[in-house]
Amino acid sequence: MIVRPVAITDLPSLLDLARCAGPGFTSLPANEERLAHRIRWAQRTFAGQVERADADYLFVLEDDDRQVVGISALTGAVGLREPWYNYRVGVTVSAAPELGIQRQIPTLFLNNEMTGQSEICSLFLHPAQRHGHNGRLLSLARLLFVAEFSQLFGEKLIAELRGHADEHGCSPFWDSLGRHFFQKDFAYADQLSGMGNKSFIAELMPRQPLYTCLLTQQAQAVIGRAHPNTEPALRILGAEGFSHKGYIDIFDGGPVIEAPVSNIRCIRDSQSLVLAVGSPDEQAPVWLIHNRRLENCRVTSARGHHNGHSLIVDRLAAKRLQVQPGDTVRAVPLLGQGRQAVAA
Amino acid sequence: MLALRPVQLSDLQQLQQLARDSLVGVTSLPDDTECLREKILDSCASFDADVQSPGGENYFFVLQDLVSGRLVGCSEILASTGCNEPFYSLRNRPFSSASRELNIRHGVPALSLCQDLNGQTLLRGFHIDAERVRTPESELLSRARLMFIAAHPQRFADSVITEIVGFSSEDGQSPFWDAIGQHFFDLPYAEAERLCGLQSRTFLAELMPQYPIYVPMLPPAAQACIGQVHPDGQEAFDILAREGFETNSYVDLFDGGPTLHARIANIRSIAESRMASARQSRQIDARGRYLVSNDHLGNYRAIVAELDVGPEATVPLTPGMLAALNISDGQPIRVVAL
Repeated sequence: MIVRPVAITDLPSLLDLARCAGPGFTSLPANEERLAHRIRWAQRTFAGQVERADADYLFVLEDDDRQVVGISALTGAVGLREPWYNYRVGVTVSAAPELGIQRQIPTLFLNNEMTGQSEICSLFLHPAQRHGHNGRLLSLARLLFVAEFSQLFGEKLIAELRGHADEHGCSPFWDSLGRHFFQKDFAYADQLSGMGNKSFIAELMPRQPLYTCLLTQQAQAVIGRAHPNTEPALRILGAEGFSHKGYIDIFDGGPVIEAPVSNIRCIRDSQSLVLAVGSPDEQAPVWLIHNRRLENCRVTSARGHHNGHSLIVDRLAAKRLQVQPGDTVRAVPLLGQGRQAVAA
Repeated sequence: MLALRPVQLSDLQQLQQLARDSLVGVTSLPDDTECLREKILDSCASFDADVQSPGGENYFFVLQDLVSGRLVGCSEILASTGCNEPFYSLRNRPFSSASRELNIRHGVPALSLCQDLNGQTLLRGFHIDAERVRTPESELLSRARLMFIAAHPQRFADSVITEIVGFSSEDGQSPFWDAIGQHFFDLPYAEAERLCGLQSRTFLAELMPQYPIYVPMLPPAAQACIGQVHPDGQEAFDILAREGFETNSYVDLFDGGPTLHARIANIRSIAESRMASARQSRQIDARGRYLVSNDHLGNYRAIVAELDVGPEATVPLTPGMLAALNISDGQPIRVVAL
């Protein structure tokens, strides 16, 4: 498996993936024209032809038979072209010590504080491929890419996790809040938002803070709660240092997780090593390896033996990365300390 | 015969009984001796004060049965809101939610805490014995205040407001309070209103949400309370509505009850009342019911009477009426049709 930039020839595969993901996956619509547009935009991004504000790095996961089985994306910056909104869950205190009243009311503050940060998004892995290291490779490849080209990104990486919804796909948070201002159901808002209209919808919402005690019980219960489907993604990113600092999605109340780039494990611990070809034994740890290129970026995972300034991998891994022995690569153990044993 | 007059300290004991019987939500009437005593003294000082423009004066009136001496009701006028402390209410106005790009435009009603009603004359504390509800005497108790304003315009603002008690159930539950205030106080409605009477209302208002509350987010029962009058507040509402008062966008921040307002010049009892001289007469060929006041200040009196009011400058009154008004033959009176 390798992760590489998307190519226009991937269009049929992406359409298949989009159909497989279903309409809830709004950033990957099963619409040929829109997908083609996104692919071309990503190609221009990797070619360095677009500004950071517009950059959309779209990666695909490809197996050795050149089948595309997953995608993931990384944006240069959110909120620089149109406002990016989140709620921060803060507190308002209502206090009258003389009367023994001290109430802490969780309050939602609309903000644009994530402006300029980079977002990891649009991850989808074909269900048949959800095993081994595939999900981790597809997700973390983006982070290693940021390690190599940090000047192209913000100080933080963020991810908006899908919020909790009921079995019919309805969002109790939306029903209690956004619906009153947009007067449409969540699925429609979500779809429009996937088409890039999120800030328009956000601008229908009140700018002033909202007391959560005025939301329905069901809505209050899902504030900052991720959809169960996002748990694997949350686990992977959590281990890398991402955490929830109280920011949530304004539509479904799902958590926004974030991490300063410099604190993300696989960025912080990654190093530049000289690639050597050999036969690392079965006990050798699995490494996440990037060929350090932008337009011809390749990221893979492979067992590697770390020796001084070099990393010894097998011939297949070098071939996947399109590098020769003696070339430098950026590499980091795929799993953090304490997780190696589990992986082995 | 019943007569309305300024409260005196000797009324304290009877007043406390009235307070005990008053409707929850008539917050200016606390069942607390010390508070009531202060209110009475404050009122006495207000009548005594030499006032050039309205301030924090509070004029407290009682309605007394002249035969038995019993007090059967009371009412108040605060000369100007927002003088001693801010006057808070909830403004109910649409929040405009619009997007040109999405071709959406609609208004979402929102309640915002505001002090928009500072600087107006406030009628409050209207309470009358249950058996006298919807009688000419309850008209007297309410409207004699307006005639007092007519007599002393420099003491009042040029617009008058009043807050009508909002809906609460027979067991004292207010759905409006439960949906909003309850979250910020953790107190039952009746207890909050009691505290309002004892402490200052402003003090509690300042604990209320400072950010807008969007009406569709409230439970239906709470939404239904917005602008809703308590059955026992209906008479106070109706009397003033007939006087030309209108509802506006403001509601009470505790129970959602409506606010009424009117410009002085448009209030019937003020605009249509006229001055005349009292003429003592044994016999009156009564042609209608009138409110009559003596137009005084500290010695203010007002009664309801069956009179013969014609275009002449004098109006015949019986000796009993003159006595009730505490005036003698030939002195000026103000009259308006009931």
